[in-house]
Amino acid sequence: MLILAFDCTMAACSVAVWRDGMTLAQAHEAMAQGQAEALTPMIAGCMAEANVAFDALDRVAITIGPGSFTGVRVGLAAARGFGLACKIPVVGATTGEVLARGAAREGTVISLVDTKRDDFYVEAFTADGARLIAAEILAPGDVAAWIARQGWPAPFTIVGDGAMAVAGDDRVTLSDRRLPDPAFLAAIAATREPDAAGPLPAYVRPPAVTLPA
Amino acid sequence: MRVLGIETSCDETAAAVVEAGPDGSGRILSQAVLSQISDHRPYGGIVPEIAARAHLSHLDRLITTAMTEAGVDFADLDAIAATAGPGLIGGVLVGVSTAKAMALATGKPFIAVNHLEGHALTARLTDGVAFPFLLLLVSGGHCQLLAVEGVGRYRRLGTTVDDAAGEAFDKVAKMLGLGYPGGPAVERAAKDGNPARFAFTRPMKGKPGCDFSFSGLKTAVRIAVEQTGTLSPRDAADLAASFQAALVESISDRVRRAVTAFREKYDGTDFVVSGGVAANTALRMQLEKTCATAGLRFVAPPLALCTDNAVMIAWAGLERLRLGLTDPLDTKARPRWPLDPDAPARPGAGVKA
Repeated sequence: MLILAFDCTMAACSVAVWRDGMTLAQAHEAMAQGQAEALTPMIAGCMAEANVAFDALDRVAITIGPGSFTGVRVGLAAARGFGLACKIPVVGATTGEVLARGAAREGTVISLVDTKRDDFYVEAFTADGARLIAAEILAPGDVAAWIARQGWPAPFTIVGDGAMAVAGDDRVTLSDRRLPDPAFLAAIAATREPDAAGPLPAYVRPPAVTLPA
Repeated sequence: MRVLGIETSCDETAAAVVEAGPDGSGRILSQAVLSQISDHRPYGGIVPEIAARAHLSHLDRLITTAMTEAGVDFADLDAIAATAGPGLIGGVLVGVSTAKAMALATGKPFIAVNHLEGHALTARLTDGVAFPFLLLLVSGGHCQLLAVEGVGRYRRLGTTVDDAAGEAFDKVAKMLGLGYPGGPAVERAAKDGNPARFAFTRPMKGKPGCDFSFSGLKTAVRIAVEQTGTLSPRDAADLAASFQAALVESISDRVRRAVTAFREKYDGTDFVVSGGVAANTALRMQLEKTCATAGLRFVAPPLALCTDNAVMIAWAGLERLRLGLTDPLDTKARPRWPLDPDAPARPGAGVKA
């Protein structure tokens, strides 16, 4: 299965062209913003490097969040554009699923993504990738203590760019997986049944707006 | 020549396909629009994050509808155009990202369209208007008078120095408790009102130049509302009618001056009005009279093409494509993008100028 996978939900823009477990081409650039400009040329470069035509693709894979609202939308909008133009399914995975994939042999993998609003998006998985909680927002404070209270099996492996929330706490282990790797995203998408409605964004947080009095 | 256009810069999500025949005349093959008005109504105005989310929710389905109704496949297109600004950036990025991806996958050129140029060129599709022409762009985000010299070539003759006309309608509707969006609500209420009951000053009337200002009129309405106290339906109708009369007379005065300025430099014979406020019947009727007196042909595209839509984006894309004006895939969306980059900024109007 030939998959174009990309991510712009966090502080980077990353692309992989992947076939049956092999990454044919990959590109990654750290950026706080500007994914809407960088993404399509980066994909064009990877497709050329992999020597793959768009009509040969079987699927498009995309991270659906949680992460930057704008990044989630830029990625999903582009993924749907490729899906429409190539008439192929778009398959989504959350940032936590991609970050956690294969990150630990035992215990629990916890994804902490910096919301840039002084708290964290948290997801949790067993070592073999089964989801333990739906994505939610975790207040800052004693995050390691919160993790310890959940009753999940130890050891606790932390992935994501919010790992600083637990830095230096010996109850958890920090993984070097800080940003979603599109090759892992492709691997997840290869085995996931496409949804007819396509993947939906995982904003987790509602728009910051209040009804007038 | 056939172009798919995408519009996501404000509160309408839209896709359309247009084509041009060998003689250059345009034809609308399809259009699909989804208004988000009900999503924003509870808040009394457009909430950018809600708008951006709604654009993403609906855009791909609307593109499919537009392509199916036009009976075309991507291979039948010559380019893919999307609004790249000005507007609410979160929504603009949804349209631009989708369009760039489709362009890359199909090998078709991508065209970044200025939303205002879409409004400006619509009359060339609907009425075959030739360059140069005088344009009044009047909407919730803008109020400008422009000499349109050609595709991508605009000279601003006047602009609002504070609020846009549509913004004034929205704010007055709020004060009168008429609901959102304000334009149609004020117009409906004004129909039964007495426009002479409140003698609002006609903003800028008689002043040199062609600029607009609606902020003082808005304040005058607020003061009248406060002095009236509890508003009866009659009070609200009279206030709406009096406000609308002042605004229409002000705009018409500015247009008369713009006609003179336009004629000093150009030999065009057409006056075009576009933008959401062009849907206002009182304004249209007054502008028709003004044009008749001035000896200009009055052109107003059909209402559905005056408010935000994707037909105008597809058409502007087509006009640009004909001139070889396509854009790279790293094109940056622009929240502020004046049609006349040489016109001086108006601090009070910000991006509206």
